[in-house]
Amino acid sequence: MKLFDRTNFYYIVFSVIIYVLVGASFYLVVEHVIYQEVEQRLKVERRDFENFVRAHGVWDESCYFVENKIELTALADTLVPVTEFKDTLLYNRYNNEYVPFREYSFVSHVGGAPHKVTIRKSLIESRTLLKSITGIMMAVLSLGLLVLFLFQRRIARRIWAPFYQTLSRAKSFDLNEGKGLTLTPEEIFEFNELNSVLNKVTDKIARDYTSLKEFTENASHEIQTPLALINSRVEELIQQRNFSDEQMRWIQDIYQSALRLSKLHQALLLLSKIEHGQFFEWETINLTEAMANKLEEFEEIFTHKTIKVQFTKTGAFNVQMHPVLADVLITNLLSNAVKHNHAQGIIDIVGTGHTLRVSNTGSALTTSPERLFERFKKQNQSSSSLGLGLAIVKKICESYHLAIQYSFDEGMHTLTISSPTAGE
Amino acid sequence: MKVLVVEDEMGLAESIAAHLTKDGFITETVFNYESALEKISLYTYDCVVVDINLPDGIGFDIVETLKKIKASSGIIIISARHALEDKIKSLDIGSDDYLTKPFHLSELNARVKSLLRRRHFGGSNEISFQEIRVNYISRKVFVGETEVTLSKKEYDLLLYFMSNIEVALTKPAMAEHLWGDNIDSADSFDMLYSHIKNLRKKLTDKGSKDYIHSIYGIGYKFGKN
Repeated sequence: MKLFDRTNFYYIVFSVIIYVLVGASFYLVVEHVIYQEVEQRLKVERRDFENFVRAHGVWDESCYFVENKIELTALADTLVPVTEFKDTLLYNRYNNEYVPFREYSFVSHVGGAPHKVTIRKSLIESRTLLKSITGIMMAVLSLGLLVLFLFQRRIARRIWAPFYQTLSRAKSFDLNEGKGLTLTPEEIFEFNELNSVLNKVTDKIARDYTSLKEFTENASHEIQTPLALINSRVEELIQQRNFSDEQMRWIQDIYQSALRLSKLHQALLLLSKIEHGQFFEWETINLTEAMANKLEEFEEIFTHKTIKVQFTKTGAFNVQMHPVLADVLITNLLSNAVKHNHAQGIIDIVGTGHTLRVSNTGSALTTSPERLFERFKKQNQSSSSLGLGLAIVKKICESYHLAIQYSFDEGMHTLTISSPTAGE
Repeated sequence: MKVLVVEDEMGLAESIAAHLTKDGFITETVFNYESALEKISLYTYDCVVVDINLPDGIGFDIVETLKKIKASSGIIIISARHALEDKIKSLDIGSDDYLTKPFHLSELNARVKSLLRRRHFGGSNEISFQEIRVNYISRKVFVGETEVTLSKKEYDLLLYFMSNIEVALTKPAMAEHLWGDNIDSADSFDMLYSHIKNLRKKLTDKGSKDYIHSIYGIGYKFGKN
């Protein structure tokens, strides 16, 4: 629910309640005032009546021509209680309808005998007045509420505009640009605070990110350069002939360790670059097709290791990925399947529209399957492999929201990469 | 053939120069951006090997200067940065090749030679060593006048050998040249061994002498002795 919708909702609920309450209480108050007024006048008429009776001794109906205006009823028993004021409906013979009246009853002695005297006053004018006053009042009130509603909506839009601007700027914040948001100061204190906090935070993020990126790049440069020197010096050294076999072995060890160090370093750099999301560009890559191409490159090694490869493709598995990472992903999957295979083994690859499955024959794991994707977890600790291949595969999958699963069944290790929409 | 090496790490520059000189190139070395610019404005080189990170400048600018003065030099960028963008940028601004540090000297040598072969097109399309001739346009190999049919990898291997005559080549360097670095070393050494065995057999069958010598524990050397 949007902020405006929420405030509008509350406003509407609140104003409807207010409207009903104000309407009802206004009606009641006006009605009360009118009754007071009518009763006041009825009391005045009672005094006029009593004065008349006192002066003339009798009540002369004829001086009041209005029908039912004053009615006298002889009372046998004066102890019967008489209701003072009450509402009643009387028939109007011209309009053929009942008309509301207020009547005032009291006991009076006319001609020596007790009579119940009832004086009535028509309420029709007062009713009309009450209705129209209330109607006008309600119309004015609703107009006021409507205007207020429109006004506050407009004001809210204007007031919140900087907030929405900040929001859209924050949404389009791109780390890769290397600088934080530059939000302009606002007049409203809270928004100003928000902007300056966002400026500060994004600035820090951008700076940290840049320095991290620089660090990885520098580390890469600073470490690879001495390694390059070691390698080239060793290559020069082996051009000499006057070394004993033992010395030659030492040189070889140095050479291979330096190479290994360099590869290890590159693999770790790759991992940290993936982790820090330094691969921004992406394109649509069909993993099934990429696998088919990679298989050609690996053909020689399959022949060499007498591994039989079965490849079934039933669809294009399209993902949005950095092309280099896609290549690393496929290569690592395949070399893993080759590395942990045995002679005359089988690699079975199935590519569907949303999964890529690589199975290979091989002996059962000695470590637990959960630790398979951890760094430096090698089946055989002394092997020459770096132990980073699957860690990299997992990192790539994670950063592109692909699921990766391992299973072992009937001597086949299976790694399945699937898109999150698989099975829908 | 004149080669200029621009590399701030003196030891590495020296090493590259020594290796290239041994192969018959006239090699000059500079250690910074300023002197590199001075050199390329004064002399003409067949090939310039440039490091991207220099203490007083960026290697890319040297490439751009070379392009601006329309120098005919081939350009190879060497960089410790593995970043793909660097690789793409290098090729975009007109360098001919890109090598990531650390690299094998023999690989650099092979790249320089391949670059020079591509550049000096009009001349001979052949390189030869003793009775072995390789036509790198038609990718045909002859021993004397007899053609030898080689597989792609065997051809690559032979060309690599012929670019590095009398140089001790290590197995990792050769494997990387043939298969890149994505392959397990144990497998690649086995495959290398069988390729060398086949190449040797094919060449000697057609009457060539055996020029491929193994060096214990290290690798191979191609040469007369």
